[in-house]
Amino acid sequence: MLLRYVGRRLLLMVPVALGVTLLVFFSIHMVPGSPAYTFLGPHATRTAVAAFNQEWGLNRPVPVQYWLFLVRLFHGNLGDSLFYQSSVSSLIASRVPVTLTLLVGGAVLSVIIAVPLAAVAAVHSGKLIDQVIRFTSTAGLGMPSFWIGTTLIILLGLVFPLFPVGGYGTGLWGHADSMFLPCLTIAISIAPTLLRSLRTSLIDALGSDYVAFARAKGLSARSVLYKYGFRNAAISAVSVLGINIGFLVGGTVIIENVFALPGLGQLMLTSILDRDFPIVQGITLIFSVIVILVYLFTDVAYALLDPRVRL
Amino acid sequence: MKLNRVTLLIATAASLVLATTSMAAATGRSPATSGKKIAHIQRGGTIIFDRGADIISLDPTQVSDNESIWADECIFEPLYEATPNGKALIPDMATSYTVSKNHLVWTFNLRQGVKFSNGQEMTSADVKFSINRVAAKASNPWTFINADIKNITTPSKFQVVVTTKTPWSPLQADMALFANGVIPNNLAGEMPAVFWAHPIGTGPFMVKQWIKGNSLDLVKNPHYWQPGKPYLDGVNFVSVPDDNTRLLQLESGSAQIDEFPAWSQVSELQSKPGVTMKLFPSSWTQFLGFNEQIKYFKDVHVRLAISYAIDRAAIVKAVLFGHGTVANSQVTPALWDYNPKSPGVQYNLASAKKQMAMSKYPKGFAVKLLVGSGNQNELTMGQIVQSELLPLGIKVTLQEVNGAQETTLQDGSQFQMSFLYDTTDIIDPDELMTFAAAGGSGAQGTHAEFTNYDNPEVNSLITQAEHVFPQAQRQKLYDQIQLILDQDPPMAYLFYQPFAYAYSNNVHGFDVYPTGNYHFENVWLSK
Repeated sequence: MLLRYVGRRLLLMVPVALGVTLLVFFSIHMVPGSPAYTFLGPHATRTAVAAFNQEWGLNRPVPVQYWLFLVRLFHGNLGDSLFYQSSVSSLIASRVPVTLTLLVGGAVLSVIIAVPLAAVAAVHSGKLIDQVIRFTSTAGLGMPSFWIGTTLIILLGLVFPLFPVGGYGTGLWGHADSMFLPCLTIAISIAPTLLRSLRTSLIDALGSDYVAFARAKGLSARSVLYKYGFRNAAISAVSVLGINIGFLVGGTVIIENVFALPGLGQLMLTSILDRDFPIVQGITLIFSVIVILVYLFTDVAYALLDPRVRL
Repeated sequence: MKLNRVTLLIATAASLVLATTSMAAATGRSPATSGKKIAHIQRGGTIIFDRGADIISLDPTQVSDNESIWADECIFEPLYEATPNGKALIPDMATSYTVSKNHLVWTFNLRQGVKFSNGQEMTSADVKFSINRVAAKASNPWTFINADIKNITTPSKFQVVVTTKTPWSPLQADMALFANGVIPNNLAGEMPAVFWAHPIGTGPFMVKQWIKGNSLDLVKNPHYWQPGKPYLDGVNFVSVPDDNTRLLQLESGSAQIDEFPAWSQVSELQSKPGVTMKLFPSSWTQFLGFNEQIKYFKDVHVRLAISYAIDRAAIVKAVLFGHGTVANSQVTPALWDYNPKSPGVQYNLASAKKQMAMSKYPKGFAVKLLVGSGNQNELTMGQIVQSELLPLGIKVTLQEVNGAQETTLQDGSQFQMSFLYDTTDIIDPDELMTFAAAGGSGAQGTHAEFTNYDNPEVNSLITQAEHVFPQAQRQKLYDQIQLILDQDPPMAYLFYQPFAYAYSNNVHGFDVYPTGNYHFENVWLSK
């Protein structure tokens, strides 16, 4: 049943992703500004511009260019960058690990931060500790991520030099070391939402009849919290986390910028500014696939947590 | 005919003196070595150099962005190179040249014993191959610089003969263009993709690894021809787009050089211990361009009125936090044809009103000024211009568009007023003159930097200057052009902007040339 559902969703991904590329293709071509001028620089002569457009087929009608893009895509080829002299897929491949680490690491850290705090807040609902947790999380929610990032760099990179000041590092350990602060920045910006929704649903669950019954049965407080509280509260938290990661996919560029990480967001931004069409199309495709997959995982997790949900 | 042997000698001597003084200045400033001589140069170490963006390509014929150009110049060397002050040329891969009586045939004698980073000897075939690549396609960005070259031959292993279509006086400077840097003939037999991943050049450094979008790691070329150089083991160009992060990395010691700190950070950095904050003279000249397809700007009095109405000092203060110079000429001070005594058009509201009254539109008009959205400098300048033109009755609306669209509109002459700037890639005035002043069917067809300015007298003087050889004679022509441009300006000349670099005090000998490139073969790190 679950497998069939996942299969159907994966198949549905094809038209959705194609729809996204269609929209992006036409909108980026409609946005004024031509790659010929950005490639050739401020001294672009008219002959050079014409030759550039001819060479890359940019003078052909946009639907024809889209058709050629599709044909290449079905051969597994995303085309070549107009600027970098290399294929779009190789450019993307080198950056996917950075962005994925950022997303996964950020999500994991946000769970690590949010879950225990939510539990403490829910268990001590209304008391001072709850108020403190709620207040700090609201503050966290209000801070823009570039500010959190810069503050973390100053604090944990400069004042207490525990982590590198930006950069991606070299080697596995180097990457892990440099990715910690960026992931923490993401975690700090997602955790408050997650914490608040988890706290509310935990309070609901802990106040419910089945929890009262479990307590009456004589189960330990810990067992009640984990087996009855969390399992039920997690359902809403999972969707909150999923949606947040979905938003984050497009928002990593800010964090990549602050921490000087060579991720997809950076490449996307410069390619949009330069009008490097093939890269923009390629990354949009990857982003849409990531978002669709995150939502799929969210739904599957949902079903696994709550047997009442039939996929 | 032996040309300019004396000039060449003087230039070489002058540049040596300059190089020594700038080196001495750099070492003198740093507490670590104050009072010590260059004899104490320390070897080894790798510099982490934070720059705003990564390079786009290692192929110098295919790039127009400065990050790529300046990195490529550490790997490839052309026949000639500019002196540190950008006023003269000194031999690099060539040692001397002669030019025929009719000024059409240039024979370059190559430096012998130069080896590429793979150990292969550099010969005339390599030079011919490299120069021919620059204009191999019309869509190459630097085709226009080599446009006057008719053909190149190699009579011997160490001689290259360049024949031009016309007697072309900027040729020696053209040969110093980074894109004319020497690579091995036929890419040393490698496939292009393989070659350009680890290109081979004669420069002080070679590529260890390029992680696209992140960093370009250069290491010392073991076969470099200058004895004892480079002093460093390597230079790592790291892309750090955020101004604050670059500064924090410099402060934490995880980087040694910070490219272009924000103008608002410069004064603070100037008094920061352990850091040298330096403003190197550059060729960056900022203009306000008028499109003469718009009827108001056909009237020279309108152009002069606007030019007089702009308080350039206020703009320098607001945009560059005072770290720039008010422009007095269209010509950049980086080039030898710059006349420091040229009065230019300066802020004078009375003259502005007088010119406006003399124009066909004494009551003023409404006009649009193109600015890049998110380009804080242009937005600030735009607001200043907006308020300063009000007393003339000129109502300026800011037309905000994103960067790529702005370039497209500018280069397509689809603007009314627009902020334009120039930087030069060669140290001959010809590139900028043909680009930013020549109208009509000017050599580059850019119609005076897209303003559609067309002054036949200027056009003819520019063409003359391309075909006259003694520099003194060319200087006279360029002086004449500057005088005309003062009275009939295609744009308002606003300011000259330096290259700002902050670097750690243990970096010595770091110098940025007016064309923006750096010579890391002269740089060393003290422990």
